[in-house]
Amino acid sequence: MSALPRPSTIFLAAITTLVAVLLYSPLFVPIVSSFFIISHGNVDWSSPTLSTYVALAGNHDILAALRTTLIVGVCTVVLSVISGTLLALYYHGRRSGRSILQFIVFLPFLMPPIISGLALLIFFREIGLERSLLTVVIGHTVFVLAIVYRTVLMRLQSMSRTLVEASYDLGASGWQTFWRIILPNLSSAMVGGAILAFALSFDETMITILVTGTQSTLPVRLWAMMRLGFSPDINALVALILMFTVLLCVLAARFLIPKQMATERN
Amino acid sequence: MSQNTDLLTLRSVSKSYGTVPVLHDIDLSIRDGEFLTVLGPSGSGKTTVLRLIGGLEPLSSGEIQLDGQDISRMPINRRPFNTVFQDYALFPHMTVSGNVGYGLSVRHLKRKEIARRVGEALELVQLGRFAERFPAQLSGGQRQRVALARALICQPRLILLDEPLAALDLELRRQMQEFLKSIQREIKTTFLFVTHDQEEAIGMADRICVMQAGHIRQLGTPHELYYKPNCEFVARFFGENNLVAGRLGPVQDGQRPIETALGRLVCSISDQPHLKAAPDGANAFAAFRPEALRLADANDGDNRFSGSIAELAFAGSSTVATIMAGADDAAQRLRLRMPSRIDGSALKSGETVSLCFAPHEGHLVLA
Repeated sequence: MSALPRPSTIFLAAITTLVAVLLYSPLFVPIVSSFFIISHGNVDWSSPTLSTYVALAGNHDILAALRTTLIVGVCTVVLSVISGTLLALYYHGRRSGRSILQFIVFLPFLMPPIISGLALLIFFREIGLERSLLTVVIGHTVFVLAIVYRTVLMRLQSMSRTLVEASYDLGASGWQTFWRIILPNLSSAMVGGAILAFALSFDETMITILVTGTQSTLPVRLWAMMRLGFSPDINALVALILMFTVLLCVLAARFLIPKQMATERN
Repeated sequence: MSQNTDLLTLRSVSKSYGTVPVLHDIDLSIRDGEFLTVLGPSGSGKTTVLRLIGGLEPLSSGEIQLDGQDISRMPINRRPFNTVFQDYALFPHMTVSGNVGYGLSVRHLKRKEIARRVGEALELVQLGRFAERFPAQLSGGQRQRVALARALICQPRLILLDEPLAALDLELRRQMQEFLKSIQREIKTTFLFVTHDQEEAIGMADRICVMQAGHIRQLGTPHELYYKPNCEFVARFFGENNLVAGRLGPVQDGQRPIETALGRLVCSISDQPHLKAAPDGANAFAAFRPEALRLADANDGDNRFSGSIAELAFAGSSTVATIMAGADDAAQRLRLRMPSRIDGSALKSGETVSLCFAPHEGHLVLA
């Protein structure tokens, strides 16, 4: 397989393992320690327990924050998928204005979040919009729109133009072509974009802090808790979020990586 | 329906993309029930003709008539034509039967009716067993047949085929040619077939329309195009040919001589008034097919010249000799095709031979 001599292969493998352990093992610390009790800064390894999870379930602040996060996430996904898809459909195949639009759509995603957040905050104040969950949803949508737009546009561009022509040629109306040909071919890109949008919204912190009213989303809540001190149920929370995020990433990859419909059906 | 009524007529149709003209004043009539092939090199505008008829592109000027009615502005989805696209354009998220039935289901036919007609169409293209497969699970030839079934299920007046065999390998292409031709005979629908492959055109078409640089150069049966090309382009493009440049001499009962580097060659001009009308001394070519050229014997008087054999190529059923004829400073490169014989060719490389062709097998085209 490898053209390298054996000692250097072993050396490379060792380095790779070391880097992987150093980089990724911190991620597993909260998961492992979420099953043990920490007292006075020492972990009691003797008795695994689910008590942190029980404590988490009783932490109403955290649960409220989690609910807020989910509400914001779902609203953001709906708004960004609809508007991102419409933008992509409108600008697909259109030369004029597309590069300017892309620049504008990508700006909030590429700018430091603190700048985006401040700009939005000033904007909301100017137009007299109270800070609330609505402003958070708007802020998140502006932030994640680029991802959905790009994902859908890429799919549109990889779709053969003759599919649409064939649909018209066979007698379909524009409406029928959209619902029966274009949308089904975009749907997996839209689902993939939605999952990415949700994941981004889920852990967005900086913009949220700036534009939220009285309610906190989970990352904002966590951030506030960390300043006050560390409670063991945070381990449980981090462990849960980590698993959830991994699940989302796996799902997104499944929808976005081109697949052969063939292999599943046979 | 007879082949003598015109189904579709293009009247001085032009098309430009921006300032780039791609079609110049095209006039073309397609007869009901015929297999018409539009043949041309790439960039000749042949695909544009098909797209204009299908309604995929608007005309720049001119008119397209169906049964005498102008349909130039009829939207694509109301034209009674269906297209087989070069890349097949099968819908990847639908099964074979979903694809084939699409044209019926967008017209809101009853499910039962659709299922019945899809079944029939798939039987016709011999894909009954594949109804529930997805396009990605089919071979190139099978996809091709799905695309055909999808186009013919709507019972169009005209089926437009845009180089549908280009992506197939040679053997499959031969099979599909026969298959298309037999389907066309069976359903008696008019086919407009676009291709750059002249062998494909000869094999399938009732008539061929040769295009070049946005113009129609000649329209006729494969036989007419092969034996009576009307211009240098068709004479060179359509099949292998020998062309020798020269100046026309005076007409003599159905024949006309041409003075060339090989001497005076006499060619037939029957049924070609434009050759009869051309002035003496006009630039022209004598054209004769490689299979018309042969070794001269003592009795042959006309169109006789000598040449040396530069190369002999065995090509299975025939052997092709490349011959340098005429004086050294104006040598003409000619090809001679003769049936192969098991005991070898009568010719030897390097040999000088006396050659001739019969006046009625020669032909003139104006330069």
